[in-house]
Amino acid sequence: MITQLLTSIAQGVGLTLYVTGASLLFGGLIGLVLVGAARSPIAIIRAAATLYINVVRVIPPITWLFLIYFGLPQYALRLSTLQAAIIGFSIIASAFMAEIYRSGLLSIPDGQREAAHALGLSPFTTVGHIITPQAFRVALPAIATYGIGLLKDSALASTIGVREITYYAQQSAKQTHEGLLSFVVAGALYIIISLVVALVARRVDLKLRRKIGVL
Amino acid sequence: MGLSFGTKAPPTALSGEVEVSGLGKKYGVIEVLKDVNISMAEGEVVSVIGPSGAGKSTFLRCLNYLEKPSSGTIAIGGARVVAGEKLPDKASLDHLRRVTGMVFQSFNLFPHLTVMENITLPQRKVLGSSKEQAEEVANQLLKRVGLPEKAKAYPARLSGGQQQRIAIARALALSPKVMLFDEPTSALDPEIGLEVLAVMRDLADEGMTMLVVTHEMHFARDVSERIMVMGNGGVLEIGPSRQVMSEPQNDRTRQFLKAVLDR
Amino acid sequence: MDLITQWLGWMPNLTPGLVISLQLTGLALLIGFPFGLLLAVMAEAKFKPFQWISFAFVEIGRGLPALVLLYLLYFSLPDAGITLTSLTTAIIALSWNTGAYASEYFRAGLAAVPLGQKEAAITSGLSGWTGFRIVILPQALRISTPPLAGLAVLVFQGSALAFVIAVPELMSKAFEIGSITFEYLSVYTLTAVIYGTLTLIFLGLVRILELRLGRHLLRN
Repeated sequence: MITQLLTSIAQGVGLTLYVTGASLLFGGLIGLVLVGAARSPIAIIRAAATLYINVVRVIPPITWLFLIYFGLPQYALRLSTLQAAIIGFSIIASAFMAEIYRSGLLSIPDGQREAAHALGLSPFTTVGHIITPQAFRVALPAIATYGIGLLKDSALASTIGVREITYYAQQSAKQTHEGLLSFVVAGALYIIISLVVALVARRVDLKLRRKIGVL
Repeated sequence: MGLSFGTKAPPTALSGEVEVSGLGKKYGVIEVLKDVNISMAEGEVVSVIGPSGAGKSTFLRCLNYLEKPSSGTIAIGGARVVAGEKLPDKASLDHLRRVTGMVFQSFNLFPHLTVMENITLPQRKVLGSSKEQAEEVANQLLKRVGLPEKAKAYPARLSGGQQQRIAIARALALSPKVMLFDEPTSALDPEIGLEVLAVMRDLADEGMTMLVVTHEMHFARDVSERIMVMGNGGVLEIGPSRQVMSEPQNDRTRQFLKAVLDR
Repeated sequence: MDLITQWLGWMPNLTPGLVISLQLTGLALLIGFPFGLLLAVMAEAKFKPFQWISFAFVEIGRGLPALVLLYLLYFSLPDAGITLTSLTTAIIALSWNTGAYASEYFRAGLAAVPLGQKEAAITSGLSGWTGFRIVILPQALRISTPPLAGLAVLVFQGSALAFVIAVPELMSKAFEIGSITFEYLSVYTLTAVIYGTLTLIFLGLVRILELRLGRHLLRN
């Protein structure tokens, strides 16, 4: 029974990873733009970025998904369930990633900018060679933690019909009447994926820290 | 504020020379630096001393525009900048930073780069040197500061004294005409500070023009030709080192020296 | 203008849903926070089985997506002969989830109380439970309060999940209106505005709370 359930529910792993990965990627890129905008010298751009980040964060993810999946087609914008899920989670991830980048940037001591300044490095070189590499290393654990959070949030995509892990678990529960077992299997899959992500992130983090000798 | 300055010597004579006049800085209505004047000959070493809050660091950081002065003129090694409301044009600022090298109290080495990369990156980005050229310069400088074996190490693996010596090498790699030291030994244990002071002493002997904010009275007296004493954002007095130390003219200088030397 | 009229027209239908969302949130916090403190204390206990039990509850509560935890209870409890209403099931799932996260904040709070405080308590004759209760715990709670308040805001957002097991809360009511009027965009925008506004109000309260708690650390 359990192997049957496992093979059936594991079919959803692909889309779970796809939704999570794509949203983290797009969200991460939009987040970069946002954090840049939030530091813009132009006040209105700064305000817009801050507003966006706050609006995104105060609305529950499931409301975002429904708004996009059910709401947008009203204006002839037909989206597949998968597209709607990725758009929704990318929007959500962008706000959180922007916050993660921001705290990464804040963790770089002023002395680093000052030293780059005093050496006459251009702003471009300073950001590219001095600030970003350090900020990324600091932010890596937070990005991994957020990625695991997003993985768990991606279960919500099942509510609009994306065939990921939770979707298949729900199907199995209804068809086989093995409700407990179906969701135990689904839960185990999420935990295994989370553990793998956490382990990899930890190793990369340790490696980076060992490399520069802070461990 | 277009304070132009009358006594302009020909550019060649300005090389390695510092001419600061009327330097001031305000935060709102608070004047943290007022009317600081100093001129230094090429190869001269001047120590800046005074109680904390006197404006010593602010003065030094205004010289390479880490902080924006509100008024005055800065001429260093051929670069010349007039302070005012607006930031000077980029070319003059770049020039000013090219001719000055700075060493910070907290070293500020780039922790994600090796010692070698710390010294070569600015050369390659600012001077456009090739990797080979930059590394050759770096190797020579590492020998000069006594750390040739640390090229591949990351800063976190080095002691504070070693980090500061590397920071000096990094600044020297851009061949500055004047070196600015902002309390280079304050973050170090006294005996570790000595190794940094030794490197600075060598540098002075080789004829580098140096402006050193310091609490090290021995260095101020023995290595620098002149001492500038600051208090409350202004210059209390300036004169030959031994003279300032033994017969200070200003009351507040006397109080300060008494407090420091009695400790 | 039209939009406002439309939204006002829907409010009588949405309000009962919002009330249930708030009830669900309130109960999940009321049960979840003490449960979290219990899990935190058990995690620090010397008796190993307590640690294991705590570990299992925390890891399941945090490691599973909240939605999966909700489905797990919803589909399995009836099989075990336990029939509960959807609302009760949602309260249990959300409390478990809340407790698991809260336990981490309580543990961090307990760990942040300096060892010297414990030693001072013991040398002042306040050992064991009394010392824990009147010296350690109040300080730990003060440290844990801001993150717990932040968690409370997330629990409110999480209450929207109960929709999937047909608890008649705000999202369900919105869905109902949407499937009758087909004005999905409008009704979900209104729902988002309601969630957003309340969340902002909660966050504002959290901020005030943080400032008040931090006051004893300020000099003036």
